[in-house]
Amino acid sequence: MPFTAREKWDWLSLTYDLMTFGEDRRQGGEKRRLFAKIQGRTLLVSVGTGNDLRYVPPDCNLIAIDISPRMIARARAKARRDGVSVRLVLTDAQRLAFADQTFDTVLTVCTFCSIPDPVQGLQELHRILKPGGRLLMFEHVRSKIGPLALILDFMTFLSRRFGPDLNRDTVGNVLQAGFRLQREENVYLDIVKTIEAVR
Amino acid sequence: MNGLSNKSADPRECLSDSSQEIPPEPLYFRLGDYLAGVLTGVLTAFAVRMVVGPQWDMVVAMLVGMTVGMLVHMSLLLLFIPLLGAFEVMMPGAIIGMYGGMLFGMRDSMQQAYVSWSTALAVGALFGLLVVLGIRWWDRQLRGVVFARPEPRRVA
Repeated sequence: MPFTAREKWDWLSLTYDLMTFGEDRRQGGEKRRLFAKIQGRTLLVSVGTGNDLRYVPPDCNLIAIDISPRMIARARAKARRDGVSVRLVLTDAQRLAFADQTFDTVLTVCTFCSIPDPVQGLQELHRILKPGGRLLMFEHVRSKIGPLALILDFMTFLSRRFGPDLNRDTVGNVLQAGFRLQREENVYLDIVKTIEAVR
Repeated sequence: MNGLSNKSADPRECLSDSSQEIPPEPLYFRLGDYLAGVLTGVLTAFAVRMVVGPQWDMVVAMLVGMTVGMLVHMSLLLLFIPLLGAFEVMMPGAIIGMYGGMLFGMRDSMQQAYVSWSTALAVGALFGLLVVLGIRWWDRQLRGVVFARPEPRRVA
């Protein structure tokens, strides 16, 4: 029987910290640089187990969401341990429980590889951002280089059964959702990227 | 529903500094990348040699080699991803497993009698090393700004 997204990420919360240990240390500097661009009231989409809360600038007005209760529980424990002030909310990124034009910044970290309908999710972020508000993303996408793209397509055939898709066109999805692209930067090959867009 | 209206927005601003420098990559990751590549190459060469026999049809040997190489690569992902990161392991590992497996399969179908085990494994190690070297060089070429528009004026 296929898992729902919530069930899948509840299970993955058990091994999430182990599997992302190297990635966190390798790309932490890039994340910190992206997080430093946060301004005003901020939403962190898919907080996971809360590993990325350490990159949030101090005194930030932050709300973080996730679809998985187990992820939220782990994130809450880490926020408490690290003294991070954050309000954690259990909700689905495709149907956000926030009013229109609520946030100045929306932040995502490896989120839009997992959301079942990424354009719908991005349209929700567009809705809750204030006009001129910024979308900051740290995401992995399908490579534009043929042999690498083939590998990512093949791996996605396996990975989507228990985790994320590896071959999404997230930059295209951002534009499709109505954002204006401000900046795109490669972090690893042309696969891991930071993407900045405005509403 | 956890509805929040924008009327309740807290006017506080984050204390942000976007001019931060990225620290250099630790030696641990550099060495780890090469070691992972070498190990993947050696184990792929070993596994393909165990499976592919002499006098196999070269096309069949190539396809079997590719399959065996990918299985080796995917098994090693579980070991290396926690230590070195997902994509940094996956991309070179898949190239070593897929293309290395094909090459080793073809070689072992034609030249198994002439190429010793130690040479076959050494070639596997060299192949892994070169793939990691190439991917790391390629990463340095691709890394950085792809597109940048001047900062927009923020609407209050």
